[in-house]
Amino acid sequence: MTGIDIRGVTKRFDLDGRSLTALDSIDLSVPEGSFAALIGPSGCGKSTLLRLIADVFAPSEGAIAVGGRPPKAARLNHEIGFVFQAATLLPWRTVRENVALPIEIAGVTPRRSPEALIRLVGLQGFEDAKPAQLSGGMQQRVAIARALVLEPKVLLMDEPFGALDEITRQRMNVELLRIWRESGTTAILVTHTISEAVFMADRVHVLSANPGRVAGVVDVDLPRPRSIDLMKSPRFNALENSVRQVLFDDDTEAESTPERAHG
Amino acid sequence: MAERLRDRVSAVWPPTAALLGLFALLEIAVALGWTPITIPAPSAVAMEFGQSGADLAYHIVPSITATVAGLAIAATLAATLAGIGASWRRANGPVMTFGVLVDSTPLIAVAPILIVFVGGGMTLHIIVSATACFFPLLIGMSRGFRAVEATADELFHVLAASRWQRLVKLALPSALPYIFSGFKIAAPLAVLGTLIAEWMGAERGVGIMMIYAMFSFNAPQVWMTIVAVCLMAIGGYGAFALLERAYLRWAGLEEAPT
Repeated sequence: MTGIDIRGVTKRFDLDGRSLTALDSIDLSVPEGSFAALIGPSGCGKSTLLRLIADVFAPSEGAIAVGGRPPKAARLNHEIGFVFQAATLLPWRTVRENVALPIEIAGVTPRRSPEALIRLVGLQGFEDAKPAQLSGGMQQRVAIARALVLEPKVLLMDEPFGALDEITRQRMNVELLRIWRESGTTAILVTHTISEAVFMADRVHVLSANPGRVAGVVDVDLPRPRSIDLMKSPRFNALENSVRQVLFDDDTEAESTPERAHG
Repeated sequence: MAERLRDRVSAVWPPTAALLGLFALLEIAVALGWTPITIPAPSAVAMEFGQSGADLAYHIVPSITATVAGLAIAATLAATLAGIGASWRRANGPVMTFGVLVDSTPLIAVAPILIVFVGGGMTLHIIVSATACFFPLLIGMSRGFRAVEATADELFHVLAASRWQRLVKLALPSALPYIFSGFKIAAPLAVLGTLIAEWMGAERGVGIMMIYAMFSFNAPQVWMTIVAVCLMAIGGYGAFALLERAYLRWAGLEEAPT
């Protein structure tokens, strides 16, 4: 029961007295232990949706359940791991101390030590390095280790490899799938790269912008474990095209009926 | 190691040589009688340190006390106001207005009025010293308390950190580089404040020693007090610069982000 259920969620922000609808009646569910991707153009509210699940904001309407409970309960119980687009490491702490931060804050003894997590993300030998001494990809690995150290039931990732180059990103994606399989968490990945979404997820949720709505869902039935070679297969390309179709259809529709888009 | 030593030596010798050269020229100029009597030979000032060293020590102790107390009071007040300004956005405007008001107060003009209220003793020296160094501390702390990155804030929220954990593990370490910058500017200003206040009236203090020396046309002693005040200011700056460097090195941060 640690899946994520989102029912009729609307989120409005007040900007200079004007109400702006970021998300409009979102229905979405992520089964326990599965990997979901959220993809959409910028401004579709995919990062906002992730933050609603993490209880950074509260929804204006509708309800979210994380493992059957409200997000706030899950957050206070340290069941949510969050990876930001920037690694967001504390520069005065070593790799080990950064990974141990959630342990210090929660005041618990975790089943897996920070060292074990550092090994899991392949950074053994860098335990005592400061973040400034690491490359961008290594810093993001530390952030992933930190997000997983308390064995959260839910792992939320907001374009975690968006700032990395293509080659590093594909390597990191393969790594992330391995780490995810080992940890067994429910994962949601926000991305704006179609191939990344298809490669990683069991199900790709496509969002449209202004306001953010679920435009469609593409189930990815590719076998796991997945390797880079998979990206060359016709099935992979077909799935990519399905996602593209949903994104593109929505785009043309929005252009043909502009009053709806601004409604 | 040897390379670092060589780097340090090559960084230090040009200013040292320039200073020694200047002293030598001045020494010669005084010996040849080219200078007015208000400018003594550097050697005379050095000898004055030997002769009146005990006097200077007697006078410098309350000056240091007033400076340290003024700095401490200003820092406490600045931390309080900056904290209010950072946690309550609408208070920030009034806090900064107050800071600018304090900063633009001409101390030379206000100190005599203050004497009417608190007399010419240590209290006056501390108040003027605190007033002189308040503004850079307020700026440094206000900036520092806002230095937390938005995503780091979200991280601590998702981790369900308490207010205290957020303050100790995130806000303070993020603020420290800016606070150090504030202190580096404030410390010499606090020395200046003490000096001005002591001119207005004091029983003990480098400022009053300077005035006495001036009235008795003892040029070497005037210059000795000037050098002493300079050393106090440099010492204050240097102490915070060293603390800052040690912190930045420990924290793995870049040099001052002012």
